[in-house]
Amino acid sequence: MSMFDTKGHPVTQDGRKPNTLKKLARLNTALRHQEPDRVPISDFFWGGFTKRWQQELGLPADANPYYYYDLDWIVTVPNMDPWIRPFETLKETPEEVVVKTGFGSIMHKHFEFPMPEMRAWETDSFEKLEGSRFDDPADPRRFFAGGDNQIAGVGDGFQRDTPPWIETVKSLRPDFPVYGSIIEVSECLTRLIGQQNAMLWMGEEPERMGAVINRIGEFYFQLARAEMAAGKGLLDGFVIWGDVAYKKCTFMSPKYWRTYFKPWVAKIADHAHANGLPVIYHGCGNVKAIFQDYVDMKIDAYNPLEVKAGMDVLELRRQYGHAIGFCGNSDIQVWETGDHEAIRHEVLRKLNAAKGGGYIFQSDHSVSSGVSGRTYDYIVKLVRDFGHYPIELGDFEERL
Amino acid sequence: MQDLKLLHEAVLTGDAKSAKAITEKALAEGVEPLKLVQDYMMPAMSEVGRRFECNEYFVPELLLAARAMKGALELIRPLLTASGAKPTARVALGTVKGDLHDIGKNLVAAMLEGGGYEVIDLGVNVTPEQFVAAVKEKGANIVAMSALLTTTMPAMKTTMEALQSAGVRHQVKVLIGGAPITQKYADDIGADGFSESAAGAVAIAKKVMA
Repeated sequence: MSMFDTKGHPVTQDGRKPNTLKKLARLNTALRHQEPDRVPISDFFWGGFTKRWQQELGLPADANPYYYYDLDWIVTVPNMDPWIRPFETLKETPEEVVVKTGFGSIMHKHFEFPMPEMRAWETDSFEKLEGSRFDDPADPRRFFAGGDNQIAGVGDGFQRDTPPWIETVKSLRPDFPVYGSIIEVSECLTRLIGQQNAMLWMGEEPERMGAVINRIGEFYFQLARAEMAAGKGLLDGFVIWGDVAYKKCTFMSPKYWRTYFKPWVAKIADHAHANGLPVIYHGCGNVKAIFQDYVDMKIDAYNPLEVKAGMDVLELRRQYGHAIGFCGNSDIQVWETGDHEAIRHEVLRKLNAAKGGGYIFQSDHSVSSGVSGRTYDYIVKLVRDFGHYPIELGDFEERL
Repeated sequence: MQDLKLLHEAVLTGDAKSAKAITEKALAEGVEPLKLVQDYMMPAMSEVGRRFECNEYFVPELLLAARAMKGALELIRPLLTASGAKPTARVALGTVKGDLHDIGKNLVAAMLEGGGYEVIDLGVNVTPEQFVAAVKEKGANIVAMSALLTTTMPAMKTTMEALQSAGVRHQVKVLIGGAPITQKYADDIGADGFSESAAGAVAIAKKVMA
């Protein structure tokens, strides 16, 4: 069980349910910075959370938070590995597994630990990186065939033989607004060569590395185009996954990011918009130094806005008004306390950001196994109770 | 005699090749190894830390400087050991049990080495027992713990308890850091220091050892 493991129920009817169309209208209205019937809510759930939630709420083993809470949107991931190939198992015991993936990274997954470890990389020199040639970004297997892929397979869970992306999209469509997604260059480099090598080589050979970034940027732009074509008429929006910051600032200088990374995000966003798809950008860390750039790229909403990195949705709303939407920012560390009074304060304060639309309620990253099932239940109830428009928050009202 | 300010410049700009060449030449000319470290390399890394704090330097520049420092230190360290010179302190550093992230820890290691500390890098997924062993068997004066995930933070508290149970808590200072860590959490678990960033770790280490 992992974050991207939700498959839809068997499709029994053509078209979409009226409730799904209502959720889509709710989401799109919010993204247009208008007030829908209520604040949209969804999240990304760790497999460990889902198991805990099932046990604590006495739910069956196939219960799923997206369905149970009738959440407002869901994201899907195609095969984004540079090389389309099955995982090569290097070690496997009941406790752990070590595999080489389609990124050429040697991944260690200990089943008790929430996140995997990247131990080594096939592409372990600058020369190999420059010489690497990926499989066709538009290869139909990325969208229409099942198989192993690192993004879906090795994360908070471990999963082999992921079903064909298009089938997942079709199975979820009757019940949810469904987004496609693509990683951007930073996420690829982390898996392809490791974050430390990526940073070191950017510092050592900024222009040569820039040429590599541009080549990989083009690859993922073409993959995004092919994905949108493969999912034509089936997708409701598009997520770009790209972590370029940590707690304090961007990993690389904003100038370097603007030169080499930003243009590819802009191209993907433009193409999505040309296809009628709103774009949600997911980037962890403190991105204040480059936030205006996302506004300039006309990103529809920014996710996840990590509180621990100093991001605050109300502060951002005051600074940027309704020039961009927000998705997330509810402090997972408060959720993990289970303290209902603190959680109520956290949730209701953040709902101020939803006034005038432009806000999707989510955690500030993902729902970890540190959050109890009862707590998440309480949070959804709070958002549903207080997220009706016009929003009235009583003691928690804040002027924006 | 060559201009040793060039060593400072080489570390500051992350020019590993020059840093090594200048160090080799200086040692051959009879310059005191400790002088190279204290008068040129450590001030250079201190300036790297300052620039990182001010967002003049970013992670790539920090990594390059750390690599240049490390390359030069490899030439000097055997000479310092032979002369009986002691490091500022010995730090047992690791990412706590259940957490497999390492870039933050590696940046802290680089900055501490640049600050004259001997770093025993215990790696990732380090158990409380491994931290205790590093204190007992390797004589660490500082235990430095890193965690990226909110779900692995509690392992810091467990390690504090293990140090206490093993009767070595009074022998060491404990520093913690990582994305979800705050000063409040450090206070709550009884750690001696907390740093928001890799560069700040050196200042905190210095403060707790004073």
